[in-house]
Amino acid sequence: MPELRRDPVIGRWVIISTERAKRPNDFNIEHGEEPEMECPFCEGNEKNTPTEIFAIRKPGTKKDTPEWNVRVVPSIAPKFKIEGELERRGVGMYDVMNNIGAHEVIVESPRHITDIYQLSELEIQDVINTSIYRISELEKDIRFKYCLLFKNHGLKAGGSIKTKHLRSQIIATPVTPTRVKEELRGSRHYFGYKERCIFCDIIRQEIETGARIIMETKTMAAIAPFASRFPFEIWIMPKVHRSDFMNIQADEIKDLANVLKTIFAKLSKVLDDPPYNYMLHTAPFRRANRPGYWHTIEEDYHWHIEVMPRITQVAGFEWGSGFYINPTSPEEAAKYLREVIL
Amino acid sequence: MSQLRRDPITGRWVEVAVSNPKRCEEFDMKPQTKKGGTCPFCPGSEKMTPPEIEAIRDPKTKPDTPGWTVRVVSNKFPALKIEGNLDKRGIGMFDMSNGIGAHEVIIENTNHNKDLADLTQDEISTVISKYKSRSIDLENDARFKYILLFKNHGEAAGASLEHSHTQLVALPIVPKRVKEELKGAQNYFRYRERCVFCDMLAQEQQEKERIVFENKHFIAFCPFVSRFPFETWLLPKTHSPEFKSIDDAAIYDMAGTLKEVLMRLKLRLNDPAYNFIIHTAPIRDGVYEEFHWHLEIMPKLTNVAGFEWGSGLYINPTSPEMTAECLRETKT
Repeated sequence: MPELRRDPVIGRWVIISTERAKRPNDFNIEHGEEPEMECPFCEGNEKNTPTEIFAIRKPGTKKDTPEWNVRVVPSIAPKFKIEGELERRGVGMYDVMNNIGAHEVIVESPRHITDIYQLSELEIQDVINTSIYRISELEKDIRFKYCLLFKNHGLKAGGSIKTKHLRSQIIATPVTPTRVKEELRGSRHYFGYKERCIFCDIIRQEIETGARIIMETKTMAAIAPFASRFPFEIWIMPKVHRSDFMNIQADEIKDLANVLKTIFAKLSKVLDDPPYNYMLHTAPFRRANRPGYWHTIEEDYHWHIEVMPRITQVAGFEWGSGFYINPTSPEEAAKYLREVIL
Repeated sequence: MSQLRRDPITGRWVEVAVSNPKRCEEFDMKPQTKKGGTCPFCPGSEKMTPPEIEAIRDPKTKPDTPGWTVRVVSNKFPALKIEGNLDKRGIGMFDMSNGIGAHEVIIENTNHNKDLADLTQDEISTVISKYKSRSIDLENDARFKYILLFKNHGEAAGASLEHSHTQLVALPIVPKRVKEELKGAQNYFRYRERCVFCDMLAQEQQEKERIVFENKHFIAFCPFVSRFPFETWLLPKTHSPEFKSIDDAAIYDMAGTLKEVLMRLKLRLNDPAYNFIIHTAPIRDGVYEEFHWHLEIMPKLTNVAGFEWGSGLYINPTSPEMTAECLRETKT
């Protein structure tokens, strides 16, 4: 019997299908060919990207030269433009705003590798620290309300056809995006009558039941969420309540690096290098001059990372209803990911 | 420079490339080729599908044999099951129920190589009248709260069988996306005492630049806040919350409009993969006077990537003004 499950945070329903239940080998993963073009993100090709914004590099070396570990550059094809004033206006019944924002690329390694597990834990820590630094810099720009850190791995996940070089992206936007607002509202609502953080409750229940836990460290938990939209969907959450990713502590950074390395190695092994997206969900920028703006967020929201393997087609049904059909139960997916030997 | 535009219904923001939109010819589409082979939807293969629920067929022929023009069957691999009770329950903090629902397939014609766009206006009218009769029939089942009609065309849009068909799912809950739209329409109505879709229709008819096609009862336009390149909406010109109340004259005009739009997309973009979805008011919960049913067509020309998934903020590399012009100028 298929099951209907509801995501407790935003109320989205998911069908866990039993009729078409799929195991890892049932998914047909296409890899595509490695592009032949010279990669602009490799060490030595620094002149082929826009000017570097930031880098963790060997002391004494110059900007846009080799000998770095992590490097941040503006996007070659930015989705948002950084210069200009925000200008809001109406066109008849419609609202329009000019599109101000920042779009940066974090090149996560000088070597031409493609997945995060190929880095060492120390290198992943450098990547995390770089993200924190860039988000904190973008927060200073009062035009921005939200900053999204995400990764597109593989063509099906929106990755570039030009190079597979390991990188993530940051986009800062002048509006708080819909999806984010839904989650913030959902968790505020839950807090409103339970006076507990919904994500803390999820973590507690998952640790207790164990069936959907993929891995745990002292400070982090990785689970297959109860109402997973996609086969092998994974959420990574800090065990200690923190609304804002920016407040992450040193021991948590170490654990997060460990979890990222392990989870992506497992995912790649179980599904043969699937395309995936991951994104950081964290509290929006709070501005002192906007009293009441998400002021309860410290208590009711909890940052986390969502990983979505892109191995099923999102079809008309899902688009029209916001209702997903998942052919692999999260219990099954968690079991595969827990048990795979690296 | 691009623009952020806000959808007046759901409040969703979309980035639209207004000053340097990607041009029609820049969408490089490879034509889809049909593989053929044994198809359960072709005449002669009727036994390969679950038993027929309804069909338009020669009165001298029997169910589940050839002699039909439009045929409705249950989905062989249903996402939801028709038998059983919902049995709603909680597991700790989580809510769940059994997956009860109906999942039907409307086979639009007998010819394996003809898509919906290739049918005549009369043939499409017959298909639409089946959408209507199945919607009305399934409403009688008290377990259902919503009826979703949609079409996946092409592999990239999630179609698993290439023989042209539409799907219908009856659900025991009102889906989230629908609720959001209803809520948006209700908020707008409360404030202005007008339907947001009727207002949109009026503005589109006045500005004209986003209109693709219109006839007496229907209008097709690329919405101001298009999430995807060549996104096109079909709206009945008369306010009506529910699809199932459509009359024969409107069905005929809807068929004509649908044919025009699908044919132009096919000619212009080399038969792109697309989804279309009928957005209608929920059943059984009373009447949603504020809502205006419509059909949304979403060609699959771009990949939805991490940013869109994470934020719900869509980036459209072209502009609806450009795509509407391009579709208007395409000769069918």
